[in-house]
Amino acid sequence: MNKITIANRNNTIFEVKGTKPLLSELRSQGLDLPYGCQYGGCITCAAKLINGEVDQRSQVALNNRQINNGYVILCVARAKTDCTFDIGVESHDKLYRNPFIDPLHPHELKSNIAIVKDNN
Amino acid sequence: MDGLCCGPGYASPSEAVRAPREKLLYTIAIYTGTGIQKPDYLATIDVDPESQNYSQVIHRLEMPGIGDELHHMGWNACSSCHGDEKMTRKYLLVPGVRSNNIYVIDTATNPHAPSLHKVVDGAKIKSKTNLSGPHTVHCLGSEIIISFLGDAKGEAPGGYLHLNKEFEIVGRWENSMGDIPFSYDFWYQPRHNVMVSSEWAAPNTFMPGFDLEEVGHLKYGRRLHIWDFEKKKPIETMYLGEDGLIPLEVKFMHDPNSSHGFCGAALSANVIHFWKSKDGKWEWEKIIDVDNEPHPDWPIPIPGVMSALLVSMDDKYLYINNWLHGDMRQYNISDPHNPVLTGQIWMGGLLGKAPIVNGVKVAGGPQMYQLSLDGKRMYVTTSLFSTWDNQFYPEIRTEGGVMVMIDCDVENGGMKINKDFILDFGKEPNGPSRCHESRYPGGDCTSDIWL
Repeated sequence: MNKITIANRNNTIFEVKGTKPLLSELRSQGLDLPYGCQYGGCITCAAKLINGEVDQRSQVALNNRQINNGYVILCVARAKTDCTFDIGVESHDKLYRNPFIDPLHPHELKSNIAIVKDNN
Repeated sequence: MDGLCCGPGYASPSEAVRAPREKLLYTIAIYTGTGIQKPDYLATIDVDPESQNYSQVIHRLEMPGIGDELHHMGWNACSSCHGDEKMTRKYLLVPGVRSNNIYVIDTATNPHAPSLHKVVDGAKIKSKTNLSGPHTVHCLGSEIIISFLGDAKGEAPGGYLHLNKEFEIVGRWENSMGDIPFSYDFWYQPRHNVMVSSEWAAPNTFMPGFDLEEVGHLKYGRRLHIWDFEKKKPIETMYLGEDGLIPLEVKFMHDPNSSHGFCGAALSANVIHFWKSKDGKWEWEKIIDVDNEPHPDWPIPIPGVMSALLVSMDDKYLYINNWLHGDMRQYNISDPHNPVLTGQIWMGGLLGKAPIVNGVKVAGGPQMYQLSLDGKRMYVTTSLFSTWDNQFYPEIRTEGGVMVMIDCDVENGGMKINKDFILDFGKEPNGPSRCHESRYPGGDCTSDIWL
């Protein structure tokens, strides 16, 4: 069991087994969450991870900048540790960006087309 | 409202032009992606100027759950089965792009208060046909096909769902997708045995929002596809290149004998005209090129984003929008090779030319529109797609969408915003929603096709 703390819902705590994605575990316990495609393709359910670790390998919606900013696709992600999240559109401050004013660097694209950053 | 003699619709486009004026309008409104945990809904709008409820939402049909992202829709029947007296234009098919569900809505039993007739389950569509991301709905005579942009995992190119007239899944409509990389809109012109389809992107690419870099990585479309309509397979590709980045809406002329059609390339902000030449070859040319506009906060000039396009029922005028600039334009296309700009209005947009219309602040820009059959009234809404709205017009989250009516001069050309009509979806009872596509019960300029 992992403890999931929802920081922007008065630090409400839920316990999840990790057998199902976070979206369905949390919704079944009464947490009202947005969602859309339910297969990891559309970011409607994105939440921001403040602490902890998740497995969201099957998501295909986030680019690397969004991942580096902590976004997690709840409809496919499972908690690997205790986690703290901000949920809902209040957590989406860095999820959406004007692509002309603030372009992505090559390493910030979605993982299937990103170019690995050379730090040297 | 349909023609008196036989089945639904009208005997010809010229008969449709003479149909009674629309009194009701059905418009999609969404909460998906807005932060409001309510279902998307179909709004019924009173557009009868004699009514005390004129310019108001008079009914809201909520979908059964949240998160659909209702987008486009279509009728179960149109003028393509005008001669079939067993058919009626009764049901609107309303797909959820994100949920994959298709809602079949009965608008005839009580046109003022439509009701849910049936749900074609999105999971069943995936398991039976390997399709997701539904978009354009057209009836083909009594049966229905719907373009889908992805496979069950949201990867391109998707394909076409075939439903029978009871809205049961028949399977895939097409016999082959050929080497088509992406799907989006389509229109068919049966007397030329042709269908033309366009390209947006895979659901997994466009649903999360727009990354400009993905255009360069060829994740967005730049082609039109010519289909052998009877054989249900693509036979030719028109590669539009830089002139045709993200070719979205496709419309043929309404005259069933015409082979002329148009597509709006959203990112290039160009209109592509295509037609069959005298020797039977399909040709294309760019006929309208909207220049990008400078903006003090942008490092590069703003593209128009021509996300939709519409041909008047009499085939005299072509209408286009520039969602980021904020203008709607009317072109006389009596000579389709040489369109003449005859009207233009501004509403919202990023250029700041008309931030307020009829007292309402316009978040977003002109995006979807429907034209009355007589060509005189155009109803325009402002939301494109929830994630894209959130990127370009973040204020739409709190301000909601707006519907504006434009008076169109069909004799001399010209467009003017009607001063008596405005619908502020920012004031909806459950909070600001975003309005999108509209349809009239009696048929409209983006539904009816003649066999």
